[in-house]
Amino acid sequence: MFRFQSFDDDCTLEEEEGLGEEEEEIDQFNDDTFGAGAIDDDWQEQHARLAELDELVRDDLPGADDPSSGDLPPAGSNAKPSPLPPPSSSSRLYPDIDERAGGDLAESLTRLILGSDPAIAGVGTASSDRSHLPPKLPGQTPHPSALAGLSPLQLSYQHHQHILHRGPAPLSQINSHSIWENNMGFGPVNSGLVSQKEDKTLMSIIKEVGLPNRPPKLREEGRDLSERVPPPRSSSPVIGSPPVRAVPIGTPPKQPMSQILNQQNNHPSAIHVRASVPMRYPPPFPERLSPNNLLSIANSPLSHSPFPAGVGPVLSQIQRAQMLNSQFHRGPGPPLLQGGIGGFRPFFGQSGPRMGPHGPPLSHAPIRHNTTHLHPQHRRMLNQRMQNRGLGDHVGGRGVGDRKNRDPYSNLMTQREKEWVARIQMMQLQSTDPYLDDYYYQNYYEKMEKRQERDRDNRKEHTTKLITPQVAKLEHTYRPVQFAGSLGKLTVSSVNNPRKMIDAVVTTRSDDEEKREKQVWNKRRQILYTVEKMYSLLLEVQDFEKKFLQTPEHQRDALLEQHKTHTLQLYNSLREKEWDDRVSDEQCLMIMSVRKGKRLISRLLPFLPQPQAAAVIMGIARNLPALAKKDKQDQVLCWLVEPVTGVIQAMSSTSLTDLLQELQGREGQLPLVLQNKFGVTLLYLILSEGERMQSSDPNCQLMDDNRWTELVFSVTRELLKVPSSALSSPLFTPPNLVSLFSRYVDRQRLELLQEKLQITSLSR
Amino acid sequence: MNYMPGTASLIEDIDKKHLVLLRDGRTLIGILRSIDQFANLVLHQTVERIHVGKKFGDIPRGIFVVRGENVVLLGEVDLDKECDQILQRVSIEEILEEQRTEQQAKQESERLKLQAVKERGLSIPKADTLDDF
Repeated sequence: MFRFQSFDDDCTLEEEEGLGEEEEEIDQFNDDTFGAGAIDDDWQEQHARLAELDELVRDDLPGADDPSSGDLPPAGSNAKPSPLPPPSSSSRLYPDIDERAGGDLAESLTRLILGSDPAIAGVGTASSDRSHLPPKLPGQTPHPSALAGLSPLQLSYQHHQHILHRGPAPLSQINSHSIWENNMGFGPVNSGLVSQKEDKTLMSIIKEVGLPNRPPKLREEGRDLSERVPPPRSSSPVIGSPPVRAVPIGTPPKQPMSQILNQQNNHPSAIHVRASVPMRYPPPFPERLSPNNLLSIANSPLSHSPFPAGVGPVLSQIQRAQMLNSQFHRGPGPPLLQGGIGGFRPFFGQSGPRMGPHGPPLSHAPIRHNTTHLHPQHRRMLNQRMQNRGLGDHVGGRGVGDRKNRDPYSNLMTQREKEWVARIQMMQLQSTDPYLDDYYYQNYYEKMEKRQERDRDNRKEHTTKLITPQVAKLEHTYRPVQFAGSLGKLTVSSVNNPRKMIDAVVTTRSDDEEKREKQVWNKRRQILYTVEKMYSLLLEVQDFEKKFLQTPEHQRDALLEQHKTHTLQLYNSLREKEWDDRVSDEQCLMIMSVRKGKRLISRLLPFLPQPQAAAVIMGIARNLPALAKKDKQDQVLCWLVEPVTGVIQAMSSTSLTDLLQELQGREGQLPLVLQNKFGVTLLYLILSEGERMQSSDPNCQLMDDNRWTELVFSVTRELLKVPSSALSSPLFTPPNLVSLFSRYVDRQRLELLQEKLQITSLSR
Repeated sequence: MNYMPGTASLIEDIDKKHLVLLRDGRTLIGILRSIDQFANLVLHQTVERIHVGKKFGDIPRGIFVVRGENVVLLGEVDLDKECDQILQRVSIEEILEEQRTEQQAKQESERLKLQAVKERGLSIPKADTLDDF
């Protein structure tokens, strides 16, 4: 006893410590462990009892229709204040177990002090034909709260039970061999006996050795087993991370979850599920209760309990058991039992059929008591009963209800836990833009709804619709932690705020600059675009010949037509709308300013009809200085020489004169022209052509007006004036220049010219 | 109450008998007692059913906790339909024996095939160089 008292002392000490929030939660667990919840679950104990019960049922089946006897062993076992250790009652009923019970002082004592819920075992034994746990079923009550509800004493006892029940491993198999057959789980008779014997030996050993000194370990065990709380994370700092949770998000709820939920629910809780949420039992009592408080509180409602009739017979049973167990020291048992929870519980521990007499008082007032202190299985039974009652009210789901009633393991997963899982699943459906995240499902669902509306127009029923939570989009900008006065930023990152590696800063230029640049680029792009288009046409034109040869006879006309249109189009693109003859300077200039454009023109020229080609060249000549300037980088004007030559040679005299005029154009153009290779070449070409015309055809009209002569004069003047450095060498020098110049200039100048231009009669 | 209509949620399946097929090929039949968000399952009164040909045998296993990622599929067992089965139930020993025989036969055929293939100069990569199963 002294030992146990010391445990109690430790408990109180722990409670009194001022702990932080996380630890408070743990402390809360501890409170359940050491305090209020201590009333609750000792599954191993109960399991042992059920095993015994199994024995009982198998052993004296005829005698099993005394449900009271079946109730007793569980009834007494778990109530903290209750003085009903199972061995005692079982000793009365099961003679073979007597020796075990008798020799098991420590066990019964622990049971005594800890107290456990009589109703728990009552769950398993409510009816004689209930399935019984094979000894190896510790998973029956997998509640964290169940584990949490252990006092250190219980834990120690549990530890013993562990040792005990490690033995009968093959039992389960043999037991459950017939499970499918009758769903009863009756096993061979000897199995129970085996366990008994093993228990006995182990317990006797323990008795000899004595209870090991458990207090320091118990704390850890309590922590380890309770709530599945992992050790507080050491590595993740608060900076930049979400707050460390004592219970990570993934853990399932323990039974009194509301407080924890509130603390932990950081996410937006916009979950709208149209399906009705069942009412929770609001705890009228504070969550933390020391056993004394609890008992005192429990005393009051029970004093005017609504089930006076029910309590009576049960109490009598308990009293009976009390008498039997008088040999064991009960201490605070009996007075507590009278008005305490212990008395309350056996009532609920009764079987379904037994509910009959107590039905009426219950039905009119489904009273929700504070069930947090109850054993979870007990609570489950309560819920089940409520549900079943509800079921019976409007739905005749008797079959299902019956089956459920008979299945003692049903509702292992409580409503709360189901909701918890559903909530997590709903969280995964959160979406700020469902049409973005789940387009196909949305469409499918809409179609389905329409179809349903069409089909079920007459019927008013609405299938429940899953309303996924709509979450407002939250912008989480990551602001790296920065200490004042320091250089740089901390690189502390976590899953929720991954590290920002580079501080990319966007620099914007001023508006004006940007506009200008943009304009330039846009224009260039436009030109290139035009050139591209023209190219495609040009290629068509160029391939015409090939195509022409390939196409059959009758289609050739059409092809010809096509060809003509293409060429026309090409030309059109070069000229302005208003001027039919003139090539649009702007357009031409634009195209020529681009290398590609120059190439294009050079390829285009041969295909253009003469007048149009001439016009093009005129345009070029007109704008030669500008073009020359633009061409400085590319130096590709010379591509034009060849086609231009061709065109010039086909030119008429007037057009030639015109061309020369264009070339000379404004004042000062010629020197610039002369500076450019192409210009010079062009000039020479023109001159040589003129000369050729003159020399070949005496009737040429070149000399009809003075233009040609004047122009040539000016050219020569310019040529002589221009310094040699400013004169670029042409691509080639036509041979007849000498003769040309000899016509117009005197010998002296001719010589100068020759020197300058390095033209000799022999040179080419 | 209707949990999550229109979705594939296991909540409605709780406390019902299910057949679970695992990734390693085992077939478990048990009452689904508890689930979690990863579809980890707690099966109660589980039985591992081995099928060989038209025979099957059940090995009672007790409680299973199955990690969700190892489940291939699961489905509720219709208790009415379960009664009338074409397959013949045999004892555990017999079914294990049958399974062993089948395995041996398979291995033998595999070996022969490999040999034949090798004779022809081809090679088939061994299973261990490929993925898990």
